[in-house]
Amino acid sequence: MVRVPEHERLVLDNGATVILLPRREVPLLACQVLLRGGSVVDPPAAPGVASLVAALLEKGAGERDAYAFAEAVEGAGGSFGAVAGPEAIALRSQFLARDQGLMLELLADTLREPRLEAEEFEHLRARQIEFIKAVKDSEPAELIDAYGRALLFAGHPYAQPVHGSEASLGRIAHAHVLDYYRTNFGADRLILVLAGDLDIHRAEHDVRAAFADWPNAAVRTTLGVPPSQAGRRVLLIDAPEAAQTHFWIGAPGVDRRYAHRAALDLVNTLFGGRFTSLLNAELRIKSGLSYGARSGFVRGSVAGEFAIRSFVETAKTARAIHMALQALERLRRDGVSAEMLASARAYTLGQYALGLETAADWAAALADIEFFGLGTSYIDEYPARLAEVDPQAARRVIDEAFPTSEQVTLVVIGDAARIGGQLGEFGPVINMRLTDPEFAPPI
Amino acid sequence: MRRTARAAIPAFRAPAPAGSEDVHAQVLANGMQVIVWPVHQIPNVALNLWVRAGSRNERPGITGLAHFFEHMMFNGTRTRAPGEFDRLMEARGGANNAFTSDDVTVYEDWFPSSALELVLELEADRVANLAFVPQLIESERGVVASERRLRVEDNNHGLLAERVQAAAFTEHPYRFPTIGWPEDIRAWRLEDLQAFYTTYYAPNNLTLTLAGDLDPRQAVQLVRRYFEPIAAQAPPAPVREREPPQQAERRVKIRRQVQTPVVQCAYKAPAAADESASAIHLLMSVLMEGDASRLHRALVEERRLAIEVGGHWQEGFDPGLLWLSLTLPQHTDPHAALAALDAELARVIETGVTQVELERARNLAIVGFWKRLATIDGKAHLLGEYAVFHPHWSELFEAPQRLAAVTREQLRGVAAEILAVSQRTVGILAPAARRTKDQG
Repeated sequence: MVRVPEHERLVLDNGATVILLPRREVPLLACQVLLRGGSVVDPPAAPGVASLVAALLEKGAGERDAYAFAEAVEGAGGSFGAVAGPEAIALRSQFLARDQGLMLELLADTLREPRLEAEEFEHLRARQIEFIKAVKDSEPAELIDAYGRALLFAGHPYAQPVHGSEASLGRIAHAHVLDYYRTNFGADRLILVLAGDLDIHRAEHDVRAAFADWPNAAVRTTLGVPPSQAGRRVLLIDAPEAAQTHFWIGAPGVDRRYAHRAALDLVNTLFGGRFTSLLNAELRIKSGLSYGARSGFVRGSVAGEFAIRSFVETAKTARAIHMALQALERLRRDGVSAEMLASARAYTLGQYALGLETAADWAAALADIEFFGLGTSYIDEYPARLAEVDPQAARRVIDEAFPTSEQVTLVVIGDAARIGGQLGEFGPVINMRLTDPEFAPPI
Repeated sequence: MRRTARAAIPAFRAPAPAGSEDVHAQVLANGMQVIVWPVHQIPNVALNLWVRAGSRNERPGITGLAHFFEHMMFNGTRTRAPGEFDRLMEARGGANNAFTSDDVTVYEDWFPSSALELVLELEADRVANLAFVPQLIESERGVVASERRLRVEDNNHGLLAERVQAAAFTEHPYRFPTIGWPEDIRAWRLEDLQAFYTTYYAPNNLTLTLAGDLDPRQAVQLVRRYFEPIAAQAPPAPVREREPPQQAERRVKIRRQVQTPVVQCAYKAPAAADESASAIHLLMSVLMEGDASRLHRALVEERRLAIEVGGHWQEGFDPGLLWLSLTLPQHTDPHAALAALDAELARVIETGVTQVELERARNLAIVGFWKRLATIDGKAHLLGEYAVFHPHWSELFEAPQRLAAVTREQLRGVAAEILAVSQRTVGILAPAARRTKDQG
């Protein structure tokens, strides 16, 4: 069965956490870095700063300008990219094992001496605004969570769009980026995992040389629990001429340290986490209405969200939303049987090892459990926890973590002129246009 | 801090991938090819079933049929009710998917090794006994229509690519969109499905690859038990259409309500097995892989005429297309972006690439090779790809050496041969004239 491989875990005197995990199937070395912060520490008026800082990390550091940096990475065949999330900036890198020294040098330069140049900032910001427009043009479903979260967590930092909105990016100045780096980078924020075909002694030496004298970040982060929301509401985002409607049905969920994670995973697998799930059976297999319907939990450090996602021909929007809500009501009413749980357990266990196969998979997994303080038992004892789940345990998580159909927030992206009238029955409708430059509706 | 000074980084000399010497291949009595790669890193197996049938094997009126089959293969057999395939596989820990291209349809399963026999039985059952339930055919048409709206009608890149490909070929069936024209999706008849199944889902038209925690001899025994009883069929008629030489550039324009224009250039390019394949891959990398690449630097960073540069070579049985695509910022003139692209391509044709660029591309390709080989999924897929599109699957293991042998002169040669204006079809998708506010 899957177990966390032997590894070395160091906490430097300044609080930086370093994990080294040797694994030698292929001559590659993977790195995963998490730096606490992310969009939750962005200024409320200008979300998107953390995202721009992350993008700027590979646009020049130490003695290398942006081009020299790209040339150093790609010249060795490597990859190096940072991206902001709600609660951290994550940096992932992969190189041939022979380039361990180069990889750590680039990493140290990036974290400790990023150039964060004004001209690169201006270009990235302009490009990020255009990327949002391009996604709206071709893949608006990619943004549906941002609209949903803005409503679900209104007033809390979880509501902020991680990569900013067209309007908020326009408000970000170069000074915001410098300020983010000054206050939110430092050793106490750092989790660094190296996994793969590793020279462990040299890696430890290099990491200490690079980070042992790094001061802590200027501020400490605190994050309160978001206020709860009541009642059903609908946000309709007009995408004229769209052939299909995308919908998102969301509600507050549970956080990352939720005690009944195994039961939660099994119930979600049955409800919307695999091909034969209740949701996909209704919307795809039985009715042919949609190419697919899924549900899932996103779990942060203080709260999380549950969401159903699907898409359907414009004329059948209301029918499909009804079917999804009915499936949710059925889950809440009927629970799941021991036989269903046995199937979900086999499925979850059978797929588990496939997500923990490569050195890069392990680097990401270990950084994650370190970040949330979960301990390696989170991985090692998962099969045992899955084995314990019975219908009563499933009933408990259904009551605790799955919303009733009356408690949900609906986000609908589609041709408003053709669907607007269908949505009133689901609750008060707020209207926006896809081209509006914000994700939150005007108050 | 220690500095590493390097000019052109020499290419990495690759050792043989662990376990490759254990790859076991066999052709069953009915002509089905089986290739097994034992690797015991995780207690799982990845299975690929490659069917030599794609939209290339269609004709006007039945376009999209190969892809529709990919859906129908999950909808019941004469021995198992619809839904049983997925229900049984998931209950034993397995998951599956499938994809269809111009050339092939590939079924993929990932499961714990304890489920190997069940999965082989399920796969053989749908190859031998597929049922055609009229009600399910109708329901699945709806699913495919939804997939088409997602990937083509509501996606500017998908929509433009479909029209460009249809214009690039006048004779060869590569002109058909793999997902099918909407009228055809609505119109297939049961007989069309049955004829396609008999011809193409015959064991002699299949390659099965398995990678993971298994014993090759036992695995082959199980494959024989379930697949060998399936009778071979007459080989499918070869695709005889040959695309006549293109005489001049072709252009496709689409106007719709969008903010960001898209430009695509599709150049006529060789088939997958062409001897210049490694050089073509490296040329593509020099042009558009990563922030240091030519087109990214020129068009995104310096001229700021694009926010993203992409592309791929559609490697198939027959000569196909090499695509370059640009996503432009709002209010950018597509013709200015195209002119800048042309200037960069002309420079490559005229003066070639530098040694630094070649070594970068080579190193990126080597790392890409190892990344794919790091998973059982990647191994099963690569074995299938090489078995189907190349003279022999074992050529997979020669990929690093072939990359190492490519010269700058060869890159310039393939650039000059492929990137000619007269040999391309250009697609431009641009915003429609603005609507007035009360209409919008």
